[in-house]
Amino acid sequence: MFRLRSETSRGMALSAPATLYVGFLVAAPLGILVAYSFWTQNYVSIDRTPTLSNYGFALNDPLVRHLLLKSIWIAGLCTIATVVLAYPIAYFIAMRARRKTLWLLLITIPFWTSYLLRVFSWKLILGFKGLMNSALISLGAIDQPLAFLLYNEFAVVLTLAHAWAPFAILPIYVSLQKMDRSLLEAATDLGCTGFQRFRRITLPLTFPGVIAACLIIFIPTVGDYVTPALVGGSEGKMISNLIQVQFGAANNWPLGATLSLIAMASVGLVATGFLFLANLARGTIR
Amino acid sequence: MKTREVICSLTSMACIIPVAAFSAGSDLHIFDWSGYEDPGFFGAYVEKRDSAPTYSYFGSQEEAFTKLQSGFEADLAHPCTDAVRKWVAADLLVPIDTSKLANWDNLLPQIKDVDGISIDGTTWMVPFEWGNTGLVYRTDMIEEDEISLQVLADPKYRGQISIPDSASSAYALASLATGNSADYTNLSDEQFKQASDFLRSIHANVRFYWSDAGQLDQAIASGEVLMGWAWNQSELNLIWNGTPAVMMRDVSKGIATWVCGYVHLKTADVSEEQIYDMLNALTDAKSGKYIIENWGYPHSNSDAFTQADPELLATYGFDDPDSFFEGSLFFDAVNPELEAKMLQEFERIKAGF
Repeated sequence: MFRLRSETSRGMALSAPATLYVGFLVAAPLGILVAYSFWTQNYVSIDRTPTLSNYGFALNDPLVRHLLLKSIWIAGLCTIATVVLAYPIAYFIAMRARRKTLWLLLITIPFWTSYLLRVFSWKLILGFKGLMNSALISLGAIDQPLAFLLYNEFAVVLTLAHAWAPFAILPIYVSLQKMDRSLLEAATDLGCTGFQRFRRITLPLTFPGVIAACLIIFIPTVGDYVTPALVGGSEGKMISNLIQVQFGAANNWPLGATLSLIAMASVGLVATGFLFLANLARGTIR
Repeated sequence: MKTREVICSLTSMACIIPVAAFSAGSDLHIFDWSGYEDPGFFGAYVEKRDSAPTYSYFGSQEEAFTKLQSGFEADLAHPCTDAVRKWVAADLLVPIDTSKLANWDNLLPQIKDVDGISIDGTTWMVPFEWGNTGLVYRTDMIEEDEISLQVLADPKYRGQISIPDSASSAYALASLATGNSADYTNLSDEQFKQASDFLRSIHANVRFYWSDAGQLDQAIASGEVLMGWAWNQSELNLIWNGTPAVMMRDVSKGIATWVCGYVHLKTADVSEEQIYDMLNALTDAKSGKYIIENWGYPHSNSDAFTQADPELLATYGFDDPDSFFEGSLFFDAVNPELEAKMLQEFERIKAGF
């Protein structure tokens, strides 16, 4: 009995720093956000009478709906692009490459510079007189710079897909790495072709890695603010840009808090729906 | 591992100590736009107090307001007149005692009269620099007799214009373009709708809503954008860059004027004397000559214009400042209700609604 108690207290002591840390830096701010969402802004002061008017306004506003759906759409496209491009790379490193550590290191290289600098470098590449346009012009492929490269949804998806690539490669790599190779040998012995082997063994066994990659990319990109602000132009704006306006120029923190919570809830809903579908798919893929 | 930690903490402490050791004069803390720590702006203060003030920076007035409201402390801050009403309402400011300002009588009267410098007889801000917001365009691609604010809506320029990502500035443009500039701070519903419709009509032509001037300057220089609603700073950068671009300065076609200056914050903890030493240094004609010649920004002190190089004044378009004051839209504080409406509608317009 005494032992158990001391074990419990030891466990408590061990988890206390993490609990306090999470409590102060995640739970408390989230609580404040929830509280703010029920208040109202009066010019420069805040009316603390609880009200649902922010929710009523936000849920009935077509602009909020439009931006929310667009954010989910952009993040979805970005997730698909990233995972589809990351899978072959992860496959190559796990199955074919000899110097795995070196390859993994190379993949993390973009992360050695700041995220902001990576976004700016895409602006330089896609810009009106940027790398891509200059190269195409000097090759004689076009005579006027292409304007559709930058300041639209495409630029946002491309930039995000590049920035988040390692987050997709690593979980897929790990799931490929821990796969039992003897299964592949057995399949070959039983007469499977290369594609059948991939379809019936490799893909189902690495499915958890793919799901993890999808969630890791989808959840943060829905709320990305700086990429659409810098490369989105007049049509690539997302929900976070509207939230930023509430905390900045509009100085309406309660509405900003409400929008943040609605965005959070939507992301949670989409992610849960995705997991549910993924589980169904996993059943049929075998 | 331990040793390394010790070394790390020692080096970081070594970095902090010189910052913490204030010398006389540097304990004056100014909350400013970046770049304004230029010693040419306050030579007289350094002469008297031996060292320059300490600066913290903000990127936009909204950011500054949010930061000050959540408890950030400084002695002086540098907003523009359109923000002053809000800052006063939030109880952030101490009134200015004009009798302690050595140069108050020499400041341009039209600038001193701008709403926000004084509100209901109390002076809240010492104007420092001012300038224009206007239509900057490529002279090699658009003819001078063709240019106007209405041209922004011409389908010919699809994807080739840029306006600021700021509701107040966009509505100033729209009020000028729809002939409602006199009522900019208090637009009627009808006028507000006209202005919003104008912004909607130019939305398809907007390549991007610029949030930093550098982005706009580069786009105009490369020819990606042919005209933009911009600060005079952009015109200067383009002139210095050798790009054939100017600001449309014809008052009858529409131009706006902004005035920025220094306010005395409630959180100030240095002596009043030191605050006024700085304000006097900033409004000194010598500082004015410096900012006009080196930055291309007009100053608030009228003597600065007589001392500055007339050729540079003409290049930067400020040889006859009086010509702007009549007919130019001043960025005054928009009434709070209208401001909220502008912000909300502008978000809609930007999203294509």
